[in-house]
Amino acid sequence: MSRSNTKIPSGTSSRLTDMIRATTKAVEANRDTINALNVFPVPDGDTGTNMLLTLRSVVDDLPTNSTESANNVAKTIARSALLGARGNSGLILAQYFKGLAQAIGDSTELTGEHFARSIRIASDSAYKALPNPVEGTMLTVYRECADVAERSAIANDDLISVLADVAAEAIESVRRTPDLLPVLKEAEVVDSGGFGFAVMLDGALRALRGESPAGRVLPVPMPSGKTFSGSVKADFVDASEEIDWGYCTVFAIQAEQIDIDKLRNHMAEIGRSPVIDGTDGIAKVHVHMEDPGKALTAGLEYGELSNIEIANMDDQASDWAADRRDSDSPQAQPEQVDIAVVAVAIGDGLTDLIISAGLGATSVLAGGDTMNPSVAELLKAVEDAPSNSVILLPNNKNVLPAANEVPELTEKNVRVIPTRSVQTGVAALLEFNTNLNLDENAEAMARVVGDVGDGRVCQASRDVTVYGHEIRKGMSFATYDDEIVAVGRDPLFVLSKMIEGKLSGAEIITVYTGESVSIEQAKTTTETLESKFAEVEFEVVHGGQPHYDYLVAVE
Amino acid sequence: MSIAVVTDSTSDLPVDLAKQHGISIVPLNVHIEDETFLDGVTILADEMYRRLPDQKVIPTTSAPSVGSFLELYEKLAETHDEIISIHISSKLSLTHGAAVNAAAEMKEKGTRVEVIDTEQASMALGWTTVQVAELIASGGTIEDAVALAKSSSERASFVGMVDTLEYLVRGGRIGKAQGFVGTLLRIRPILTLINGEAHPAGRARNRTKGIARIKEMVAEAAPLDKLAILYTTDRADAEEIAKGVAEFAPDGSPIIAQLGPVVGNYLGPGTLGLGLVSSESGNATAGNAE
Repeated sequence: MSRSNTKIPSGTSSRLTDMIRATTKAVEANRDTINALNVFPVPDGDTGTNMLLTLRSVVDDLPTNSTESANNVAKTIARSALLGARGNSGLILAQYFKGLAQAIGDSTELTGEHFARSIRIASDSAYKALPNPVEGTMLTVYRECADVAERSAIANDDLISVLADVAAEAIESVRRTPDLLPVLKEAEVVDSGGFGFAVMLDGALRALRGESPAGRVLPVPMPSGKTFSGSVKADFVDASEEIDWGYCTVFAIQAEQIDIDKLRNHMAEIGRSPVIDGTDGIAKVHVHMEDPGKALTAGLEYGELSNIEIANMDDQASDWAADRRDSDSPQAQPEQVDIAVVAVAIGDGLTDLIISAGLGATSVLAGGDTMNPSVAELLKAVEDAPSNSVILLPNNKNVLPAANEVPELTEKNVRVIPTRSVQTGVAALLEFNTNLNLDENAEAMARVVGDVGDGRVCQASRDVTVYGHEIRKGMSFATYDDEIVAVGRDPLFVLSKMIEGKLSGAEIITVYTGESVSIEQAKTTTETLESKFAEVEFEVVHGGQPHYDYLVAVE
Repeated sequence: MSIAVVTDSTSDLPVDLAKQHGISIVPLNVHIEDETFLDGVTILADEMYRRLPDQKVIPTTSAPSVGSFLELYEKLAETHDEIISIHISSKLSLTHGAAVNAAAEMKEKGTRVEVIDTEQASMALGWTTVQVAELIASGGTIEDAVALAKSSSERASFVGMVDTLEYLVRGGRIGKAQGFVGTLLRIRPILTLINGEAHPAGRARNRTKGIARIKEMVAEAAPLDKLAILYTTDRADAEEIAKGVAEFAPDGSPIIAQLGPVVGNYLGPGTLGLGLVSSESGNATAGNAE
């Protein structure tokens, strides 16, 4: 057995920190591709972005002092990764850092054997962290990498050679994911999180070998005979990312005469969520645009522009989240309650509704699809809640794993209810009863979760084929309990079709209208549903959520 | 030695049950516009609920006067040695206070009157009164009666599922059920009384689910000494609930009672509910598992 010649030198962590920085650069370089591999056409917690944000939170906490020992650094990164973990993929990624910390233990160096052990720990704890582990995902890649790493470390304890074997295996493992997960095969992609991990290992390896740049664009390993045109898909994703949030564009138009109706229709054609109002000689335009320049150019056709404000809504969204948290912070001194509820939600209507339904004990943490709150944010919301007993409603299946980490990180008694959507969260919240204790409430609320059917209607942000349905960009489609049940051009038609298939046994159907649905459209929705399905009780309420035209709870 | 049993009209005791147990009932007052009625005497429940939705001026209620208590106590003192007077939660009505004042005057006249604040209302109060009357009939002393009134009212539960919180809000009796107000979904609030105040006990998304929940609450409170199913306007629904929970009633058949004009004024048409007393062996009461 050859002696290890590339250990991280005793008493210094510079190579470990180099590895991590390189890992982050690599994910940065491949983020769009990783996002483009997301299977579902819903902008649902983009994997690349979530991984990158998680890694950045690790890098931010790295010591600037390169003489810090490896074991100290490892402990720090494990905690930062977990606290900064976003989305499912971020949380699985955090297990990798947990593995590193545990494998290094008290040792001040990182050997090939340590590295092998770290991936095994990452794999084991990732399988445990998820309620329903699915093969053909990042989990499989972890597990197969762990197998190879262990064999490699027995043959040769050298860190670089173990890492090289693992990085090569990661690519092959990713290539095999469509064989294990049919939906990947159908969409002609490989697993995005697994690919992200392969990218990370590639970066780490290049850093240790001294290759530059550490973060290079890695080709997507596709099954033989298939190709993934990264650049084309990446364009789609760029477009969809901007559709998701884009730029909030606000300006005034001045002219002697402005045809407000024409302007409104024009803006509706080129952008989202248009709000146009005008009086004599002046019109105010608010519209969400992928390209704010287009809105301005269009505006110029009507008159002179003034008071132009363009805001990146990604920033707005996080600012909004920060404001929300500030207003919930201790200086507000909320009255202590026996049991507090923390719910994750986005949308003005849903936020108001949750607070109103929460019996004065409920706070809302902004978040949801594409804005998965981190473990740290969830933890803070729980810590700020005005009680030692807290019920946490993640309201999103991608937030659930992060929420499940919270109870162990706080002194408070926390019960996590596995609400997979905001509509199941509202149904659970209606069971909240101030006369019951924490466990009784948790039990009653969890019981409801299984009884609520979970429907969504949204527009495909790019062309995809899922479960045999070809969905073109811009088409509406409905999912029900994560299956596609209807596709069409008109959101209301798709909604009706979904409901038609889910009537049996249904008593009450609650429809939450999204930010894209106007008050008139909501009224039409109510009338259409009530006349079409007289046998069920309907309640149509303003949710104000982004992305989804309709969120539906069938009880 | 004989002991008289008194309660007030918010007990919603059916007339025959009160008569059977020799219980005297002091009526509260109901004010509709310029008219004043005696609860259950000059205005009956059906009449009240027929008029209620169309009232431009919200009907109000008031406690019986000290004088009306005194009048009854004096009359009872002619044939009884002692009186136990069992009443609605003092947080919901001034009735208890009026009774206490009248009792103080009676003491000067040499008659012992024990006044009990049950922190309950409707048939939860009604059943406690019945249990006390039963004890006295079987030879219990006034001390036994006071002890039982306290223990029974602690085991008693009132539950009401209202169609709307409107009546509770405008009548100023919302209590801790305040949290229900403003919920942006159509829900059927289920209320209970805890420490004499209205508390939220649950929410149902529609009437069917609410009825199912009420049935569950009976099962949760079992074993029971007493069970009544309550309604303001929908007797058929109350009968359906009674059928569903018959096995929990002590004699296999729950009493169905109509909520009277005073209680009904705050709960409104469409209300369904429960008045029950859990057995001493049972440890939970409906809507109150603290």
